[in-house]
Amino acid sequence: MKKFYRCFVCGDIHYGVKPPEVCPTCLVKNAYVEISSAEAERTMEPVMTTMTRDEFRRVIERFAEKNEFQVNPDTAKVEMLFDGIFANEQNHGFKYCPCRLRTKDFNEDLKLVCPCHFIVHETYKGKTDGECWCGLFVRRKK
Amino acid sequence: MSRLIMFHARECPHCRVMMPLVDQLEKEQKIRFEKLEIWHDEKNADLMRSYRPVIAPKCGGQLRTPTFFNPETSAVLCGEVPYDKLKEWALSQG
Repeated sequence: MKKFYRCFVCGDIHYGVKPPEVCPTCLVKNAYVEISSAEAERTMEPVMTTMTRDEFRRVIERFAEKNEFQVNPDTAKVEMLFDGIFANEQNHGFKYCPCRLRTKDFNEDLKLVCPCHFIVHETYKGKTDGECWCGLFVRRKK
Repeated sequence: MSRLIMFHARECPHCRVMMPLVDQLEKEQKIRFEKLEIWHDEKNADLMRSYRPVIAPKCGGQLRTPTFFNPETSAVLCGEVPYDKLKEWALSQG
């Protein structure tokens, strides 16, 4: 089960099944202590932000740049997908994939949040022209 | 002709590609798809979810759009497919 952890040196928050051995920010070893979700929420509240379309675009471009995939160069398709992704965030709380339907099972539906773990999907894995289900990410041409 | 449903999403590019093909098929073959949008209409979304045990196993374990579905026979065709494949599926539904 995933839990929250806080670095007792720099205050970084980690959410996962176990804490990092080394804090990626202050590089101190064995620095993470488990905290409640309420404490994590209060810790993060002053820095809670929303993300604009342009910010999200930059985020996913940075995410893709060191991977074997890229953001789809078809900008019209990307804009349509952004319309859906941001409508879903506004209406349903998360940037759900516009081409799949959530089940209403919270943990199951986290798998639909963009970017999803598409590299294991049959639309991408082992395909030279692979892409994520909605087509936001496509395999980079060599 | 059986009742045929097309579950689609407003901002799904695959659905955008398939919609004119469905329109063409409707005109050519005098059949009709009930087009149900699932991200902006919770009633339609709930209907698609109710068919999850039937649809998901045939669509990679998920509820994807577009999905073409025959509630009477539980026949499913999902994703962006060529016109001929859509036509063959629709005409085989009786």
